[in-house]
Parts: sequence; C-alpha cells; structure tokens
Amino acid sequence: MAELVSKRILLAKTALDGHWRGLNLVAIALREAGFEVILAGMATDKAIAQAVIDEDVDLLGLNVGGRVEVVERIVDAVWASYPGLPVFAGGAIPPWACRRLEAYGIEVYPPGTALPAIVDAAKRLTHVAAAPAEQT
Amino acid sequence: MAERNERPFKTVSGIPLKPVYHARDVVDAGADESVGEPGKPPYQRGAYPGMYRDKPWRIFQLSGFGNPADENERIKFLLAEGEHGFIMEHDRNTADHLYDVDNPNVVARHEDVGLTGAVIMSVRDYETVLDGIPIESTYGHPGGGVVQHAPFALSCYWTVAQRRGIDFQRLAGTGQSDFFLTYLGCVTKQQVPTRAGLRFNSDIIEFCAEHLPRWVPVSIAGYNGADTGLNAWEELGALFANAVEYLDDIKRRGNVPLEVAAAGVGGVSFRISMDFFEEIAKLRIARKMWCDLLRSRYGVTDDKATRLRIHVVTAGSSMTYQQPLNNIVRGTVMALASVLGGVQSLGVSGYDEALSIPSEHAHQMSLRIQQILQHETNLTAVADPLGGSYLLEHLGKELEERAWSFFDEIEANGGFLASLDSGWLHQRAYNNQSEWFRELEQGERAIVGVTDFDGDINPNPVDGFVGTSDAYERATERLAALRRDRDEAATGSALRQLEKVCRGDDNVIPAMMSAVAADATLGEIGHVYREVFGDWKTPIPV
Repeated sequence: MAELVSKRILLAKTALDGHWRGLNLVAIALREAGFEVILAGMATDKAIAQAVIDEDVDLLGLNVGGRVEVVERIVDAVWASYPGLPVFAGGAIPPWACRRLEAYGIEVYPPGTALPAIVDAAKRLTHVAAAPAEQT
Repeated sequence: MAERNERPFKTVSGIPLKPVYHARDVVDAGADESVGEPGKPPYQRGAYPGMYRDKPWRIFQLSGFGNPADENERIKFLLAEGEHGFIMEHDRNTADHLYDVDNPNVVARHEDVGLTGAVIMSVRDYETVLDGIPIESTYGHPGGGVVQHAPFALSCYWTVAQRRGIDFQRLAGTGQSDFFLTYLGCVTKQQVPTRAGLRFNSDIIEFCAEHLPRWVPVSIAGYNGADTGLNAWEELGALFANAVEYLDDIKRRGNVPLEVAAAGVGGVSFRISMDFFEEIAKLRIARKMWCDLLRSRYGVTDDKATRLRIHVVTAGSSMTYQQPLNNIVRGTVMALASVLGGVQSLGVSGYDEALSIPSEHAHQMSLRIQQILQHETNLTAVADPLGGSYLLEHLGKELEERAWSFFDEIEANGGFLASLDSGWLHQRAYNNQSEWFRELEQGERAIVGVTDFDGDINPNPVDGFVGTSDAYERATERLAALRRDRDEAATGSALRQLEKVCRGDDNVIPAMMSAVAADATLGEIGHVYREVFGDWKTPIPV
C-alpha cells in the first residue's frame, strides 16, 4: 500500500442537487485502498479547476447529477490549467450520456459498478501497479 | 454469477428470521395477542375503521420539470390519468438554496436548470403551474420539501388560493419542510442553521393550527433518513425524535393547543423498500408508537391527534439502472407492502428512477401499478388483512423496542437537531451504507440485473427523460419581466418587513405572504435569510 500514499484524488459534485450516497461510498473505498481523497463538494468549474491545482491531485472524480454540458465545462476548465489530468465519473448518467462523456475522454462508471472496479480504475489511472494477489 | 457466501436469514435491518413463527413468538416477544381494531387507539391495525372500503389511498406522485408551463402540463396529465392529488417538484438548483436563476452558482451550471423540477421563483410562477387546476377540490403539495424553502412555497400556494377566493378552512393539502432531506441526506446546500429551521416549522404548524385545519403543516419524511442509510427501526426512532423537537417547541411557545398541533405533525411519510414483511411491520407499529408517544410524553389522548396518517414513497434507491423495466415489478412489490401496511397516500418511484426524473410513461406506470392494486385485487375490501400474523406481530414488537432504544440514543445526544448539527446521525447512516455494500459485494445480498442475472434482451432500451432545454433562458426572461413590472417600492417594503419579523419572534408566515404577494422573488427572500440567520455549518466533509 505504501506506493499509494502519495496519490491524491479530488472528488467533486457537478450538480447543485444533492443525494450523494455514491460519492460517499466511493470516497470511503478509495481511502481504504490507500489513496488520499480530497472532497471538493459541489463546486463550480472554476473552483474545481483551482482545487485541482491547489491540491496537486493525480486524478479527478466527478459525481454527475445533471447534464453532460456542465461536466464538459468543468473538464475543459480543469484541462486548461492541467492538460491531460485523468478524469473519471459516476452517478445517474443515462447510457447515451455515458457514451458522450467517454468520447470526451472521461471514464464513466454508472450505478451498479462494484466498488473494487472503481478502485482498480483509480489505480490504473494514477499508474499504481496492481497490488500483489495476497493483499487483495 | 459470482461465487456467493451463504445468505443469512435476517431482515435488511438485521432482525434475525426463524424458519416459521408461532403464537408463542408473539407472546414471548411481549406483543399483545389481541392487536385491536382498525380506527381505534393505538391504531396498529389502521388509522380508520373502514380503511380502503371508505376511502382508497390517495395516488400521489411527485411531478414536474422545466418551465412552470411544463409542470402544469404534467400535473394535468397525471390528474387526467387518475392521480388523486399532486406534488409540485421544484428545480433544485434554485429552490433548495433559495437562489434566483441569476445567482452565480446557478449560472455556472445553467444547463442543469429545470432538469429536476420547474423553475419557480415567484407567486406568478405558482399561478402558471396551478393554472386550470382546481386546488379547492384537489389535494395539493406545493413542494417545499426543503425546510428553508417551505415558508415561501406554502405562502405562494396559499396566496394563489386566496386570490381565487378559496376558503382556507376548506383548503386541503400538505407541506413538508423536512430536516432529513437537506440536513442529513443532501447536505451540500447553502441553508439556514437548524434552529432557524425549527422556528420556521413551528411558525407553519401554528399558522395551520389557526387558519388551515385541513392542511398537514410539516410532513416529517423518514423516507429521506432511510434513503440516506437509516434502517427500519432507526427511521422510526429518528422520525419520532424529530416530532418531539416540534412538539416540545410548540409547547414551549404556548400559542396553540398541543393536541391541535400534534394532529398536524401526525401526518408523516416513510420509505418502503424491498424487505417486504419488515416494511409492513414498520408502518403498522409506527401508528402504535405515535399514539403511545403522545399519551406518555404529553398526556395527549385526543383521537385526531393520536391517529398517525402515513404517506409512503417507494425507495428510489431500490430502483436499478440495469434492466430498468424490472423496476415496474419492484414498484409493485413496494406498493403492495405499503398498502398492506395501511398507507393513506402513496407515490411509486418511476422505473427510470436511476436514470432521470420520470418520463411521462414512467409516471403513467406509477399510476397504473396503484390502479391495478386498487381495482383488480380486492385488496381494498378488508382492513389490515395481515393483522394477527405471527411473523408481523413479532417483527413489529422487535422494531418497536429497537426504535425506542434509538430514540433514547438520539435524546442522549442532545436531541434530533443536535444529532444533525454534530454529524452523529450522518455517521450512523454512512456506516449502514458501507455495511450494506459490503454485504452486497460479499454475496450476502443479491440485486437482480446487477449482481445476478445480468443478461438483458429488452428491445426497447430506456434512455432517461431529458426534459426541456430552455428552462434557464425562459426563467431569466421571467425574472427580468417581474423586476420590470412589479411595484418596486411595495416589494422593498414587504422584504424589509419580512426581515424585521425574521429578526423578532412573530410568526413569519403573514410577512412571507405579504412579500410573495408583492412579487418578492425566491432569491430575494433567500438573501434576507442569509443576512438574518447565516448558514448552517455542515458537520461532515463534503
């Protein structure tokens, strides 16, 4: 687990609406896997882009509760200041919107995704070697 | 199919289940063998003697999106299809935070505006939503699920009624003002501190006690506690801990008779999820617990006050993203449990719940599920058909004991509002969520289409309801027109009066009704609150 300690993930909500069981569970799972998780809550595109720089994160996770245009604007703002930062997203995202976000360069994990799959994605996206079998 | 651990026999809340139950299980658990009569205290068998023979449960769905005119159209559609009342849904971006559509936090994500409900910023918008809807004879819920939004929402609705010349003595409907929703569930809101929220709710309860005898002033929504993670007995215990915050405050203020206030507070809502028998037992025992609570804590024995009336919303979180048509079956199972528990009104989540707000068709299916139960099954012929079931009476007793114990724990933590301010209740709910997911991932629980049986050959994929795309632009135009047309001096004066009342002890509702009648906007009222009350500090990292 030691190599994970330096990996930092910012989790943010894209919408002002608020049920957020999912974000909370993902945060707990990522912390248990050894990541340092920073919660930005609900924030605007500019605030999220600033937080990415201030917190010097390796990965951005977005809890999507609204329209894809808002997600794309946030990611544009982030990539303008931190080109190529990996981004993954989850939430109530209809299949057509998943396809659109994936085409935009965002990995999407819709409801029903098992938490270990999200943790594995975080490891891959932050270039952490897969844990040895006996630790999983 | 994943390899599974053996599934333990227990309810979703963790009550152990034996292979079969007998009379001795009821007696040993301390449950009364004679469970009483429907319509008589303690009401375990039902709130009313004739139950659905006399009056079927109210089909009552949350609805709305986009522009006020879109919401009006959807409500009319549902009423035409057989709905018995309507619940107005508001755009959460604006309503929950009390922002107008030009607030920078809204502008930054303006495409989302209108996605989850209509943008309603003034009494004029209420008039559009309610246009052509006979609110004198149709049971209405003006929205205002969020505590700080409720005085505005109710005042707008009542002002529309007043302008139509409807007698307040006859106007029937419900408020909500639910703490569970935004102080436990969706805490990422800019909102007033809990003490200010309690004052609003007491103001609403007293105003209704004096002027609107057929109105449920605040409907505590255990639903929102349960969908955040509280289990069945925690939902019960927390709901009653919330109720005593209201009643203790009303008693302290001494403005209205406690039994009148209690009759108002005794209109509540619960969540029903997929654990069929536990959920039926929960509704039946809830009525007894309310009756016992009023008698023991307040000495209130009045029939109207001690009769708990229950609205149920089926669990949105039980609805799956995968194979969404399965959710029609889930909705039916949860609706059946609600009816066997003796609900007075019921909303069934849309089959597209995990994807979006309901499409017109999903909404229609939520009505059809209930209509099939009302008209094809004979379910409405006999009150409390499961009364006396060994299993149900046993579960009821178990839930009752555990719920009172949780109630005592909340009281020991300073009470319901203090448990929200400290984050104690959140921690409990999140621990439950994590535990539930752990059980799911270890194969102790299954969800069809998600953990098992994931093949889907449905030729008509459900892609989620998109709604309208012009809600932000139209709302911006309406706001500009309102500010241009209204009597600015009158609006300013009404807002100053509202601020004065907020700073003092008088009931906020009359000043709020004057403010909305003078075309004050949602955001302007929010500005007054923020100046007077400041913001609640969320006790957990978000």
